[in-house]
Amino acid sequence: MLLADVSETYTDIVTSVFSSTIAAKAWFATAAAILALLQVTTAARIYGRLSFLPERGPAVATMHRWSGRVAFLCTLPVFFHCVTILGFQAPDARVAIHSLLGTFLYGVFVAKVLIVRDRSLPAWALPAAGLTLASMLVAIWLSSSLWYFTTVRFGF
Amino acid sequence: MSRGWRPLVVGAAVVVATFALAQAQVFAPSAPAEPGAAGDAARGESIFAGKCASCHGDGGTGGVGPALVDTGLAAADVSGVVQQGRGVMPAGIVSGQDQADVVAYVVSISTPSS
Repeated sequence: MLLADVSETYTDIVTSVFSSTIAAKAWFATAAAILALLQVTTAARIYGRLSFLPERGPAVATMHRWSGRVAFLCTLPVFFHCVTILGFQAPDARVAIHSLLGTFLYGVFVAKVLIVRDRSLPAWALPAAGLTLASMLVAIWLSSSLWYFTTVRFGF
Repeated sequence: MSRGWRPLVVGAAVVVATFALAQAQVFAPSAPAEPGAAGDAARGESIFAGKCASCHGDGGTGGVGPALVDTGLAAADVSGVVQQGRGVMPAGIVSGQDQADVVAYVVSISTPSS
């Protein structure tokens, strides 16, 4: 069966590096959450906040753009597993909240990218969208990776 | 429609599409491992030690998760829990042949020794 083969192939590839697909998801999500925090930090610097950090300039803007791109890439394997294999589940509060946030994540991401390119919107729209997106990523990490590391196992 | 609504409308469309994709579970394994069939309990023991014993204890004697020894579990039930998860146990910790092997092992230790 073709679709089952995709799932099996994915599992084989992932478990050649990680102990399980769940562990892979936990680490990819961790990387994405750390990069999300870097996104917030660099964005704050771009807006003139956190003045104790290195001065504003092209380097900070470049770091902001690339941390966002890499964070997005880190979410893709998680998206593939969670959305196309596991689907929306709600057996308990943690999983229900995780599923709900995960469902909204890419919608907020697309909205944020569109807001970046739309100069006609109010000035607060972009930081609000960025903070919402980063908060959602961290909340998704708390409801999955942190739970996995503290309840199941901490390791690759 | 005002252009300012575009991010919200497109974002909402992506949310709906994501939910639809999640409901479809297009790459979910459609053929569950045959309960107990073709499972290698010896190999399953090794997999169990690496992926299940952290919660269920060495040899399934219990830990954070419930003990499995002498519980008389049916292969179909074990398969179902492995695939779907239960409580804090995530779904899909093992799959494919690994799942069949783990199921065979769990059934072997859960069979009451009388």
